[in-house]
Amino acid sequence: MPDLPKKKVGIVACSGEELPAGTVTRLAALKVLEELRPGDTVTICLPLFLAGGEGDRAFARFYPTIAVDGCDKRCAARATEMYSSKPAASLVVEELITDQGLKLSGSARRLDESGQKAVEITANRIAEWVDELLHKHWSRRTGTFIESMEVVETPKTTQAGCLCGGTIPSQEVMVNGGRVTLVALPLIFQQCSQTAKPPDDKTADEILEIVKIYNQVPAEEEAAYRVALLHEYELFCNQQEAAR
Amino acid sequence: MTDPKGKVVIVPCSGIGKSYGTVTREAAYEVTEDLLPEETRLIALSLLVLGDEEARAAVAESPAVTIDGCKLACATKMVKESGGIVAQDFTVLDCYRRHKEFKPQGIVELNEGGQRLAHALAEEIAATINNFNHAPVSDTNQGGHHA
Repeated sequence: MPDLPKKKVGIVACSGEELPAGTVTRLAALKVLEELRPGDTVTICLPLFLAGGEGDRAFARFYPTIAVDGCDKRCAARATEMYSSKPAASLVVEELITDQGLKLSGSARRLDESGQKAVEITANRIAEWVDELLHKHWSRRTGTFIESMEVVETPKTTQAGCLCGGTIPSQEVMVNGGRVTLVALPLIFQQCSQTAKPPDDKTADEILEIVKIYNQVPAEEEAAYRVALLHEYELFCNQQEAAR
Repeated sequence: MTDPKGKVVIVPCSGIGKSYGTVTREAAYEVTEDLLPEETRLIALSLLVLGDEEARAAVAESPAVTIDGCKLACATKMVKESGGIVAQDFTVLDCYRRHKEFKPQGIVELNEGGQRLAHALAEEIAATINNFNHAPVSDTNQGGHHA
């Protein structure tokens, strides 16, 4: 198995600049990333689902993700599902704090005491969910939990682990004359190279199997993928050799 | 200029993990709240990502000024994707190259260098928008130039 990033929970905040609750989402996410669960969480800027690459769009498939929204437009949750994968959990700050009898005042630019309290409440809720999600088995192939465990539903009511521009390494390869992007392929090649696997048929089979864990490979195209992967791995090995 | 439709739209990048993202946001707030509150309005990038109709209409109807924190230029890309016209795109890095003495640090709270960089950027943006208001309309919609 390649040395892919250890299991972490992704946090996507709406960061809405127009509302105090949007600022709360950003600061709460940062509090979790920097203070409460720094080793267990990563984040991504929401716009990268559109402006970034395939690796960015794979974010919510690789990491069970908590979407943190300020208002009921739920930009983070809906955009994450639309462009990446369904968040494992989501919350809306305005609903969460209303449940706790708190009303936000102040501006989006500078939170007042109520805003700071909202940050604390929201961050603590996120941290609780991080702990829950870390104990569940996550499939990076399907972007869902493997076991039929209860997924946290939306309540009714430094660098901060930022991965922008380099979420999951990916590589384009030519398959049947078409260009496809394979998530995690650079890491897979690296792992095979480090264990001195030669670019041969046996290794090609192994690489294909690992690639299938992280990517959708149509059954009828497996042979073509295998050929392409072996070719790319040969190139990778040659580059490694030349660099020595 | 109080009609929202006539206001220049300011779109910061929404970056969450780096100081430069915070600088974009601070500069946007300074322009829209302090320097040119009557001439500008802020649009959250998350709304454009989702395809919110009101936000898309805002960037389609008014010239937009984007402020990006990194080379991925999310704000500029999203305004264009949303059918808007980028009248001017600013990047924090370009501004920092002109003000090397203001090194930004911190994300939740910018250090003094970051705050001064945001202020310098806000003033550049305000000056540019003031020029829009004195230039022929066709000159404000060329887009795509770094400040």
